[in-house]
Amino acid sequence: MDIGSLRQQFDADVSGAASDADLRGVRDKYLSRKNGLIAAFMKTLGSVAADERPRLGQAANDLKQHVEQAIEARLADVARAAAAGDRTARAIDVTLPGRPPLVGHRHPLTLLRERVESIFLRFGFLVVEGPELEDDYHNFEALNMPAEHPARDMQDTLYLRTPIPAPGRAATLLRTHTSGMQIRYMETHQPPVRLIAPGRVYRRDGLDLTHSPMFSQVEGLVVGEDVTLADLKGTLVAFARELFGAERGTRFRPSFFPYTEPSGELDITCAACGGRGCGMCKGTGWIEVLGSGMVHPAVFEAVGYDPERYTGFAFGVGIERLALLKWGVEDIRLFYENDLRFLEQFPL
Amino acid sequence: VRLPYHWLCELVKVPGDPESIAAALAARGFEVASIQHGHQPVIDFEITANRPDCLSVTGLAREASAAFGLPLQRPDATMPPAGQPQPIDVTIEDAELCPRYCAQVFDVRTTGHTPEWMRERLEACGMRSISPIVDVTNYVMLETGQPTHAFDYAKLAGKALRIRRAKAGEKVTTLDGVERALEPDMLVIADGDRPQAVAGVMGGAHSEIGSGTKLMVLESACFKPASVRRTSKRLALKTEASTRFERGADVNAAPAAIERIAALLQQIGAAQPLGPMIDRYPSPFAPRTLWLRAQRIERVLGVAVPDADVPARLEPLGFTVARSDERGTRRADPGSAIDAPPASHLAPRAEWRVTVPSFRVDVLREIDLIEEIARHDGYTSLPATFPTLAAAQPQPDPRTLRDRRLRHVLTACGLSEAMTFAFIEAEAAAPFTSATKYAQEPSNGGVVAVENPLSEKFAVLRPSLLAGLVDAAAHNRRRQHHDVRLFEVGTRFSPSGETRAVAGVWAGAGTPAHWSAGARPADFYDVKGVVETLASAFGLALEFEPAEIPYLEPGNSASVSFRLTPEATQQVVVASAVRRTIGVVGQIAPATAEARGFPAGEPLWAFELDADALGSGHDGDDLRAESLPRFPSIVRDLSILVESGLPAAAVRGTIRSAAPSTLVHAIEFDRYKGKGVPEDRVSLSLRLTFRSAERTLTDAEVDAAMDRIVSALADAHGAVRR
Repeated sequence: MDIGSLRQQFDADVSGAASDADLRGVRDKYLSRKNGLIAAFMKTLGSVAADERPRLGQAANDLKQHVEQAIEARLADVARAAAAGDRTARAIDVTLPGRPPLVGHRHPLTLLRERVESIFLRFGFLVVEGPELEDDYHNFEALNMPAEHPARDMQDTLYLRTPIPAPGRAATLLRTHTSGMQIRYMETHQPPVRLIAPGRVYRRDGLDLTHSPMFSQVEGLVVGEDVTLADLKGTLVAFARELFGAERGTRFRPSFFPYTEPSGELDITCAACGGRGCGMCKGTGWIEVLGSGMVHPAVFEAVGYDPERYTGFAFGVGIERLALLKWGVEDIRLFYENDLRFLEQFPL
Repeated sequence: VRLPYHWLCELVKVPGDPESIAAALAARGFEVASIQHGHQPVIDFEITANRPDCLSVTGLAREASAAFGLPLQRPDATMPPAGQPQPIDVTIEDAELCPRYCAQVFDVRTTGHTPEWMRERLEACGMRSISPIVDVTNYVMLETGQPTHAFDYAKLAGKALRIRRAKAGEKVTTLDGVERALEPDMLVIADGDRPQAVAGVMGGAHSEIGSGTKLMVLESACFKPASVRRTSKRLALKTEASTRFERGADVNAAPAAIERIAALLQQIGAAQPLGPMIDRYPSPFAPRTLWLRAQRIERVLGVAVPDADVPARLEPLGFTVARSDERGTRRADPGSAIDAPPASHLAPRAEWRVTVPSFRVDVLREIDLIEEIARHDGYTSLPATFPTLAAAQPQPDPRTLRDRRLRHVLTACGLSEAMTFAFIEAEAAAPFTSATKYAQEPSNGGVVAVENPLSEKFAVLRPSLLAGLVDAAAHNRRRQHHDVRLFEVGTRFSPSGETRAVAGVWAGAGTPAHWSAGARPADFYDVKGVVETLASAFGLALEFEPAEIPYLEPGNSASVSFRLTPEATQQVVVASAVRRTIGVVGQIAPATAEARGFPAGEPLWAFELDADALGSGHDGDDLRAESLPRFPSIVRDLSILVESGLPAAAVRGTIRSAAPSTLVHAIEFDRYKGKGVPEDRVSLSLRLTFRSAERTLTDAEVDAAMDRIVSALADAHGAVRR
């Protein structure tokens, strides 16, 4: 057989071999030293004319290399195909759901409270907390609301059946606002003061869509030698922008609270109508966010601060109200029912 | 208060529609509740408690006149010619509660009738037309804010009106037909015999005017606000009159209202005054005058107001403003006892002497005048500035950080945060009240009751957070939420005060359901794991002991305590109390859970800890980092048979005391009862880790340690190695 036919025969053999074993068989058939076809061909070279021998010897070597390369390449192909087949068999369904880790959600009122705290921490405010059981002096009297003051009607109070002893005065009521913390802090600290005091407050209100006998407030107080109403406006506007976004308009307008003078309320443009006026904002285009004002001189006198030397501002904001304005939670009861379908709507 | 638009226009020629009036007054501090359109437009304002003068059309008209810079028209109040006087004896016996009392006798005509315009305005303000006399008095109250009352002259014994405190045991039947018992600090208007009206609150039925009334006595007075308020609250009787008087009445409105009523009654032909008006005013009030300093205005507002604007803003509101001659001297606010600061080197600033009109009962000191100046433009001209920060802040309240840390750890443990009411039903609180010994406070049992709860649902303050959490778990179950994991950080109450606690409940699955395996129901060790994780977050080594707790299921519940360090022990009152119980963990007693609507036959797992006992929320304040071990450890597993009832903690304790210090860790990894283990025994397997910080341990020394451990376990517990 001539070398050309041998090459053709090998090419046919190799393309007919499908498995690893077949390929190794083909390799032995051509390359085996003892009885391989190429070895057999080399043996025939002795009977060939001397001047033909080097050419044929070279051709035989070329064929040997070709066989080796072709077999190696095909073996690699077969191995790859086998591996691919294995992987397909072992493949998992990546579309099945993952195993859920146990996760818990913070309460939306906590999320908002922490948000408010972080804003005011950036503004350089201190966070303090105070008692929920209060005495009449800290809740009302020192805040320029003596007994029989008509403004006490604004905050229908829950009283304790039996006073609870406390350092100083016995607690007789559930605090109706966090403003008592203004007094508690100023009684024990000298100016400058710049704080917020978050906490639960209680009123003798029925539970309905918009009222709850318990809700949460954040009180703010800033006192110094040069604190002004303009500073109050600037602080509140900065707070509202940060919480609600710069695209919402703000309005600071006169109001009344017994323990601040002058007093003011902060409004933002109604999200429902964009300020054009609708049912939600009673046609005004504005939604009330919080109450505030300059600390009344009578409050400074109650805590022994010189009202000629110091000025200050205070504000109080309801967390539930912020949640309503920010997330559109229209039923305040949802915050206290603790239905997981509600709680789990808020980010982790 | 309801303001009919056309009535306002009669007093001030305001330009613009009801909306623009509403907006202008809203900017001055009068919040608009609603605007009613139509033939008779009405703006409803919410009047703040400091402005009783604006519970009237005239008061709001004055604000509108100041807002628009237009004159205020005063309605005709010319006293008509009087007829023959009739005797009436008016005596103020308590001038503190009644500084001024005016009275006028009228001859009542039957020919009078209420004109249509008046009827319309009354109705626009939400009042029914009753009779010409009543209508006119109501009309004048709406117009001027001054309530008045008419007595039937014929019914007054002794033809006398005595303004005095009620006598013990006195009663009066008020116009609403209710007989009311009076108390000695209530002010009444009495005739010669008995009370005929509760001063400033409501008239009496006996002397009520009616169709048969020939002569009437009209009262127009000023009563002390606190007294009217106290009486109105005590009698639970809130009227148009009491609402106005308790906020403070204008002492000069008393005679003015009688003049206006007389003029109107004459005009509609309903009555004619007889004799002169009686005006009892024993100590006339001097008008209040206040200093106002330009410098102070700027210091409070943060913006200078031009000197000329001060009288321009105050005078339309009824204030009299005089520029002070003594420029450059500063006086403190007369309302304060504090000396004025020394005069500064700055150029002297303007000062004014301001006289307050009698109807502005709210303006008491300089700051109130500054408010009047500031609200003129609705604060729109105020710049938005930021207060300067002069010093570093003191330490924040450690509880804020601690509570935040508690929330982080518990949400990471898979519990969601709940907020439940601090007041609950007495019945819901009952199971928890006898358990206060597990709180930090000394036990005195009992519950804190609310004196005036709105309903029985909110009658007592919670002694435990678990009461609300059990309700929340039941609520979720009713709404088909099977797996409930909730926690709360909050205040709980006992007769010794309030403390903060952290509590959690766990119902349903312990591991979440997944297609790969069924869910495992939650058990004791799920909640215990949460408590242990909390303890580790706060660096506490807790001990758990079986405990009988009234609201927890016996056998499935434990008390949680920790050993105080020697240093902390010295601070404890009872020196022997080296262990402090800080809470509980276990299964809510089925009866307690079912009583709150939690399904029967299913365990509800819970824990509650005294948050204040956990320490601070600061990260790693007391931490010293340990270097990593340099030598390998040797691990040995040990399986023993012990009595079923033997606590694992006892086994662990014996192991620790028998082992050399190279035992660095011991943990149970299996507990088995069943085939191959005798009935009353349990197989317990522990993995022990030995390591030295100085060298590599040899097998031989660990074998020796294991032998000592096994023999110690045999001695102490009769344990047999498997």
